[in-house]
Amino acid sequence: MSTQPSSSWRAYDWQLIRDAPIAPVMHMALDEALLEEVAAGRRKPTLRIWEWAASAVVIGRFQSLRNEVDLEGARRHGVQVVRRITGGGAMFIEPGNTITYSIYAPVELVAGMSMVESYAFFDRWVLDALASLGVEAWYQPINDITSAAGKIGGAAQTRRNGAVLHHVTMAYDIDSAKMVEVLRIGREKLSDKGIASAAKRVDPLRRQTGLPREAIIERMIDTFRAQHGLTDSAIKPEEWQAAERLVETKFGTEEWLRAVP
Amino acid sequence: MHGEYKIPGGKLVVVDLNVTDGALRDVVLSGDFFLEPAEALEWMAAALEGLPADTPVETIAERVREAAAHAELLGITPEGVAEAVRRALQGGTQ
Repeated sequence: MSTQPSSSWRAYDWQLIRDAPIAPVMHMALDEALLEEVAAGRRKPTLRIWEWAASAVVIGRFQSLRNEVDLEGARRHGVQVVRRITGGGAMFIEPGNTITYSIYAPVELVAGMSMVESYAFFDRWVLDALASLGVEAWYQPINDITSAAGKIGGAAQTRRNGAVLHHVTMAYDIDSAKMVEVLRIGREKLSDKGIASAAKRVDPLRRQTGLPREAIIERMIDTFRAQHGLTDSAIKPEEWQAAERLVETKFGTEEWLRAVP
Repeated sequence: MHGEYKIPGGKLVVVDLNVTDGALRDVVLSGDFFLEPAEALEWMAAALEGLPADTPVETIAERVREAAAHAELLGITPEGVAEAVRRALQGGTQ
């Protein structure tokens, strides 16, 4: 990639949040709450590593619920369905099968970059971490992290009041049979990918590294810390409260879930 | 009616609509693209609402372009939206 690690990462005192597993809808709310906190200057730029308390389908802000999700299949498998604030595609999440993180940063960090350039910029450290584990991965614009063996993950961004949220889900392992029962994956989407099977498009990190999920996350954190600096942090009580309010008023409501029916 | 178009190098654009008395109604635009601000989704859908079903594809794209003039579009283009509309009107892709 032409995007080089920028020294401007070092202009900030990066905070790390690693918390206990929480409900998918709470993750959606925390992303908005923490983005607002960074935008308001009440929180320093932050890296948050997610742990999932339940299986989920997470659909993009602009995706049609009925076009993307088999609601009956999701119910049958106990999969919770939530909508996030960023665009991008639907993801099937099972605890322990995915590595998910969010970066909340001032927009100044990516000043002068196009949106497409900023996607690759935000995940450069992850590509370095994967490379150190023997996985040669690269950015496939707009927002895919991929490798010769298949797609590894996808990113999504949104911007608000001078702050940017960049979050990524990577596949550690995947239950493809279950995935096709909860996601509706149309033929048109695959038309320029050159392969017919959605399952074949993904090559998870477990197969590529042979390492426990935890070891990959540790390497990612070590890499971020070495490149950009990282201070251990925690979600503040008022941030939890803000997120809980957002679950009640927005992310937990049918209106939000069906914002695009 | 339902139309899908995967923009080469971009994202999937989906249009669901009805045609009543020769005009586009109940237009829902969706997909895995990115928009800032999010309201631009409704701006674009509203621009399609009520258009005659025989509106040329170039005109549809122009209407969408005007509606999204103050938005940032990533992975979605006015031409791509128009193509998804065209496909929906032709009977869809699935």
